[in-house]
Amino acid sequence: MTFVMFLKSTLTIGLLESAPLMLAAVGFTLIFCLNGFINIAFAENLTIGAYLAVTFNSMLGWNFYASIIPASVLAGVISVITYLVVFRPAMRRGMGKSEMIILSVGVSFVLRFGINLIYGSNLFYFNVGKTYYLTLFGMGITSTQLICLGLALIIALGLYLFMYKTNYGQIMRALSDNEELATIAGINPIKVSVLVWFLSGFAGGLAGIFTGVFTWVHSGIGWNMILTILLVAIIGRVGNVRGALIAGAGVGIITTAVTLVTKPAYGAVVLLIIFIAILKFRKVQV
Amino acid sequence: MEQLLSGYFIYMLSILLLFVALATILHMQFGITGIVSFGIAGIWGFGMYSCAIIMIKLNTPFVLAVIMATVLTGIISLGIGRILLNLDDQSVLVGTLAFSVIIEDMIVSESWLTKGVMGYGPVKFPFDFGIYTKLAYFLIILLFTIAVMYYAGRLHRSPYGRLLLSIQDNEPLARSLGKPTFRQKLIFFTFTSALVGFFGAISVPVYNFVFPKYIGPDITFTLWIALLLGARKRVFGGLVGIVATVGLFDIILETVVPIPSQYAGMLYNSKYFLYGLVLVLVLMFRPSGILGDKNRSINIKNISKFEKKEG
Repeated sequence: MTFVMFLKSTLTIGLLESAPLMLAAVGFTLIFCLNGFINIAFAENLTIGAYLAVTFNSMLGWNFYASIIPASVLAGVISVITYLVVFRPAMRRGMGKSEMIILSVGVSFVLRFGINLIYGSNLFYFNVGKTYYLTLFGMGITSTQLICLGLALIIALGLYLFMYKTNYGQIMRALSDNEELATIAGINPIKVSVLVWFLSGFAGGLAGIFTGVFTWVHSGIGWNMILTILLVAIIGRVGNVRGALIAGAGVGIITTAVTLVTKPAYGAVVLLIIFIAILKFRKVQV
Repeated sequence: MEQLLSGYFIYMLSILLLFVALATILHMQFGITGIVSFGIAGIWGFGMYSCAIIMIKLNTPFVLAVIMATVLTGIISLGIGRILLNLDDQSVLVGTLAFSVIIEDMIVSESWLTKGVMGYGPVKFPFDFGIYTKLAYFLIILLFTIAVMYYAGRLHRSPYGRLLLSIQDNEPLARSLGKPTFRQKLIFFTFTSALVGFFGAISVPVYNFVFPKYIGPDITFTLWIALLLGARKRVFGGLVGIVATVGLFDIILETVVPIPSQYAGMLYNSKYFLYGLVLVLVLMFRPSGILGDKNRSINIKNISKFEKKEG
């Protein structure tokens, strides 16, 4: 493999791989920005989105693109339900951050194995319909991949604008700093939180669908990705949508490069090294 | 009776004890010192695989392999702790989880050394007492588990344990009082992780063949769920939690209740579903676990005794 060829394939595959990762990292970081804890149950938004889309698409026979929207909206609704039923009451009881993370692991187990109990342990495949083969930088890609990349970028951009161009970004920061003070200032905390959790679940659901469409849908979709999402979100500085987008793209390209040269397992090693190096560089200490 | 002693039942009891020991070590790391280690299964697996590999590749006796595996795990943990432990809790959590996942991935992908998903082995018991071999080995594990629990109990009442507790409660305060908190955390993390590696190493003959699935994040979370269910601040929290989760499901359900094989997958799924549900309910309605919080009222008599001892 020549160097130019390597560069081309790294960039193309990396960008395609990182599209769902960017979406997921943005969704994850929204919750982190608002509530300040690592929500492991975010993984299940991806899984739920993928399962619902596959239900609409291959079980009910809807068009793939028509099933994306209701599936990710429902994933957002389920995300809101977990917030209202579990996370909000827990936060109001003053639970510590480590306990919140472990609580989210519990929620994640309930959702993931609940899905397994409902759907069984089979693998499901999307029925995308007719696909066209295109070449981009000399690499063959399908029209589905291109559309998914485009959609992911559009939604990620939308979330970016939501954070930085509307006053919701400010409201979220106000709420995460001091909820009581924000309430006095006329902010309805429940309304904003529900919106943020919905958007986060929506982005997560989409990310799950875009992951599942190129392989298959199984209950580990979100779980296998959550560690990368966590690392990306922390590398991109938690709670920072811009950072999550850049780190998502960077991590996708770097892990692809490592995977092309060696084995997939080393992608995670390189990622961990980058993670630690960046944290050390920033000197986040106790 | 003889079949019971040499068969599946004693195997499951041995695994249960190993889990009790791990949960107790987790109690020392999280409940006493406040280190949020999500890499315990990876460290366990490192001890397990290094013991098996040393024993088979280098052809060493079992005891030597266990010692070498324990030391190796300690060295690796020292490295991890040195890098991670002075970061904030969430970075420690993610970093240790990543480490654990990497260990599992490496074991799967480096199949020239570990045989990957095929499983590595076989490692036989270091002695042979006929049908009593498994029972004797079970008793050895029991001895070590009791030793760990005794140590954890002692820790609660010792000045060193109070230092660790103060690190958990308020690390900047402990540091401002002149305690080298990072060094203490590092030493304690290395020691307890080496202990985890030791239990991984002695678990190898029980399993006979070691597989990557024994060391996945599911194990880490099972241990965490058990510890929180039991009581994270009590010495017996790990024991109670493991008996209520692993003991109830893996031993009672799987050995006593006959389940048709077509429902085996469903049992696995409902087990983890219930683990998750129980964890959520416990954290929401009884955050201190079944046993509750330790009553830490200051006993003047005890303190003056310690002062005499130290001074």
